[in-house]
Amino acid sequence: MSAFLVPRSDVSEFRKRYRWMALVAFLAFGVVGVRLFQLQVVKGAEYAQTAHENVIRRVTIPTTRGIVRDAHGRVLASSRPSFNVLIVPGRVMPSARPPKANRAGVVINSDTRELDSWNRIADTLRLNPDERTRLTARIKDACATDEDRSPCWRPILVREDLSRDIVAELKQHTSEIPGCEVISQPIRYYPYKHLASHSIGYTAEIDAETLAHFRPQGWETMSAEERQKTNPLGYDPGDVIGATGVERAWESYLRGQRGWEKRVVDARGRYRTGPEADRLLDAPSRQEPLSGRDLRLTVDIDLVQSIERAMRPHAAGSAVVVDVRTGRLLAMYSKPDFDPNDLSGGAGRDRIRESFNKLYTDSLRPMLDKTTSGAFQPGSTFKPFSALAALEDKIIDPSEHERCDGYLSFGRRIFHCTHVHGKVDMRDAIAESCNIYFFKLAESVGMDRIARVATEFGLGQKTGIGVNPESPGRIPTRSWYALRYKGQFRIGFTLNTSIGQGATTVTPLQLALAYAAIANGGTVYSPQLVRAVETTDGSVVQDFPPRVRQKAKVAPENLARVNDALFAVVNDLKGTAFPVREAGLEVAGKTGTAQTGYVNTGGDDPKKAWYLARDHAWFAAYSPAKAPEIAVVVLVEHGGSGPTVAAPIAMQIVKEYNRLAAARQKRPAAAAGKDAKEAKDAKDAPAPKAAGPGAGHALGPDGLPAVDDPLAMPPQGRPEDPPPPSGAP
Amino acid sequence: MPRDNFDWALFLTASALAVVGVINLYSATSVSRAALSEIYIQQVYWLVLGGILAAVVTVIDYRHYERLGYVLYGVGIVLLVLVFILGKDIRGSSRWISIGSFSFQPSEFMKLFMIIALAKYLHDDPKTEERSLKDLLIPAALTAVPMVLILKQPDLGTALILSLMFATICLLTKIRWQSLVTLLVSGGIALPLIWTYVLRDYQKQRILVFLNPEANILGSGWHAHHARVAIGAGGWTGQGFMRGTQNQFLFLPDQHSDFPFAVFAEDWGFLGCAVLVGLYAFLVLWAVRIAATAKDRFGAVLAVGVGSLIFWHAFFNLGMVTGILPVVGVTLPLFSAGGSSVLTVMMGIGLLMNVSMRRYYVSPARTTGLLTNI
Repeated sequence: MSAFLVPRSDVSEFRKRYRWMALVAFLAFGVVGVRLFQLQVVKGAEYAQTAHENVIRRVTIPTTRGIVRDAHGRVLASSRPSFNVLIVPGRVMPSARPPKANRAGVVINSDTRELDSWNRIADTLRLNPDERTRLTARIKDACATDEDRSPCWRPILVREDLSRDIVAELKQHTSEIPGCEVISQPIRYYPYKHLASHSIGYTAEIDAETLAHFRPQGWETMSAEERQKTNPLGYDPGDVIGATGVERAWESYLRGQRGWEKRVVDARGRYRTGPEADRLLDAPSRQEPLSGRDLRLTVDIDLVQSIERAMRPHAAGSAVVVDVRTGRLLAMYSKPDFDPNDLSGGAGRDRIRESFNKLYTDSLRPMLDKTTSGAFQPGSTFKPFSALAALEDKIIDPSEHERCDGYLSFGRRIFHCTHVHGKVDMRDAIAESCNIYFFKLAESVGMDRIARVATEFGLGQKTGIGVNPESPGRIPTRSWYALRYKGQFRIGFTLNTSIGQGATTVTPLQLALAYAAIANGGTVYSPQLVRAVETTDGSVVQDFPPRVRQKAKVAPENLARVNDALFAVVNDLKGTAFPVREAGLEVAGKTGTAQTGYVNTGGDDPKKAWYLARDHAWFAAYSPAKAPEIAVVVLVEHGGSGPTVAAPIAMQIVKEYNRLAAARQKRPAAAAGKDAKEAKDAKDAPAPKAAGPGAGHALGPDGLPAVDDPLAMPPQGRPEDPPPPSGAP
Repeated sequence: MPRDNFDWALFLTASALAVVGVINLYSATSVSRAALSEIYIQQVYWLVLGGILAAVVTVIDYRHYERLGYVLYGVGIVLLVLVFILGKDIRGSSRWISIGSFSFQPSEFMKLFMIIALAKYLHDDPKTEERSLKDLLIPAALTAVPMVLILKQPDLGTALILSLMFATICLLTKIRWQSLVTLLVSGGIALPLIWTYVLRDYQKQRILVFLNPEANILGSGWHAHHARVAIGAGGWTGQGFMRGTQNQFLFLPDQHSDFPFAVFAEDWGFLGCAVLVGLYAFLVLWAVRIAATAKDRFGAVLAVGVGSLIFWHAFFNLGMVTGILPVVGVTLPLFSAGGSSVLTVMMGIGLLMNVSMRRYYVSPARTTGLLTNI
């Protein structure tokens, strides 16, 4: 009833509440104020840093991988651009995106009136219907949402390594096909294809295992210094890395160092430019990339080409040509080989996979560099070392004759010779390749003396070439046999060793270096495949002089005797290689026909068994015989007889070497004349200027002669050259 | 009309907020796509229209509104129902009615209609002794009807604001403390039920994000995280007008609707924010003062209602943007872009001005409730 007594506008009911309300409101805003103080003042710097990191992105600047050239400046490996097409799903097909409106009810993407460009792009790329439907489905899928971080805005790779025609077509119509981007990505390119592919090697995308080595667990949380330490070359997923050959061994030189640049990005990942954006960039804002170093190899690609031609009739084999005066490898050839272009990503991932499958299922093992990783019984090419062993310890008088009846029996075993040679001395025995003589020699010399001399010539040990995996081969000793056959040493082991059979194995490279040592008076060089490291403009950063590995301790007169015998092999009427000698070629060498010891246990089909049962054909030689320049070793696997199969190939190689040398001699002579004339001009001209004679040789920007002749290179790089990347192989 | 009683403090505070709000919107939308960059112009139009409406609302003696209280309320309810029939679906909820190219949000205006209805009820139901729950039954019903309609849209933020406004007005009355406890307990029981039956998944997600802010920065925590970063990056003095990087480079979502304060904080820093928060605090406290000086119950409740509208909007928005409250789509009065919101706030300020200007006027209807003088 009291309600009726209270006037409707008696405000006293509310009076006591206002104060509380004011207090609560005041406190509430106070809390907001405190929170703002905490965010902006207490943690302000921290958030400012986060805000800064949000808008700054470090964009890597690519570097170019170094170029590999042959001894005469021809490009063996370089990079070419591969054009890939990316599309942004939300932009090539705006119609697939959900219509979007903001809070005020304005539908945003209707006013811009974007049209679908996808069909046009697909037409231009000439996609087949399959690819087309697959990609269309993918685009529609991505466009299900179009929030800021939706896959709708993430580019998809559509096509790799486009032809230039299509690229030109796309570039011409850029404005009509929004959302389509052509990016160029460097792809390793090998102009000589399969030639010298083992020495050069190939590049591939870095594999997970290697990457895990450079980016171990906890990489994300590492500091910049730690990262630099564990991953000095800065490998990222998807990077290209040298897989075999020089590409792998000299990776740290070739790779170069990527640079980076800070860019301002917005939340959608778009780059922002202009003064507002530049204001945000803090120093240092850019680090220039260091391009990879170029390599000059010792290899003459023309010589490799001629070997390839000479080896065409044969399925498998290898050849090495080495300069006996320096140990520089003029040619390395291993058959079968591969085309590194197929493996280095040019034609897309499918092509790479296909090529690998083919290469790894081939029983002739094309990926193996047989010059270094193949260990074979040297056969009769080993005889000079047995002879030297006998001569050194004066066990045998070389002029004394032995009688060869075509066989020799030791206990219950009979050892055969190739022919009945009759009475032979050491020279005849080498020239005619008489086994009986060497059996008798071995009997008195013993295995360990032979092993010592062979080892002094570098056989049975890794040569240290540093490129591709290397097999040590094996020069057996008595103790090796003792271990292997549990103390039961038989004289037959020694006899086999003396003619390069049994457990004796060498690599073609070892044999080439050993013959080079025979030719040059006993100096065993370290093999050299890389002549120099150069900068992009052609100046030499690092030049590698020849390195002597060891000196064989043999008396010069003994060596002369062996040299004479090797000369007889080719030039004596009775010499094994006499039938294939070539007029005008001065070659000394030794043939070899090595039994492989293959026994078909029934697993192989007859055709394969026939092939595998054939002997390895060898020819090891040097030329010119009187003043040797090169040593050549040719091995034709399962080729049959050394004198008839391997020796002609070696002759071809020597002939080609001479032809090339002669041709080159003519050219520098002409160039030298030009140089002299220019030098005269230079006296009058204010700025000295030099010109390189060879085609393709870049000039130094300061007028210094760039690399003209590989043998006349300046010993050091220019002083302002930065030091090469660390981590030499 | 007593021109001398013009409330300059209220006028200047509101004008300052409106001007700063437009300037801030200019910064917030300057970098966006064409469709957004026009928003600050639209905001100026809305403010002008709102100013005119506020003047109209001020000129008409507020006691007319008392008479029309339930009629206006009824109109509001009808409009809310119409939303379901004519409503436009945007982002999964329909809150809008469009007439031609013009569209508006009835739930915004409903806030004012509800204040008027509640004020009328309390005006007509004076009490000297403490109120029990039974006495609040009708006001509760007056709130519940629009709330349910708005929750159906669904618009959790507006529903929440309505309920908080109701609670504020309830607390203005002399309510029995037993009743208060009962309310609190029943509210506590209702919470889990609301979680299971009322809240949508995205709303639950926002609350979870609030409870564990750094859990999912790229996903559902994106808004809250980037708002905090932007505010923090402002530091003491801010990065300068239109120079806040997080806004300029699009890291702030909804920078014109729900998060304009983050833009402001980044541009102007703590000092600017302190001034702005001070302005809102002053506005709310001034509304309480107007209520305290109001000459009748209707005016007092009206002033407290409008004050609580501004208070809860400002507090929830600032709390949400600074991360002390979960992300609830609540606008910041006069700062957020949006016609309905601007008009509602402007008319609310008109009501405040109205009550404030008539605080010395002794009406003959004081005891009878009859209006004789306009």
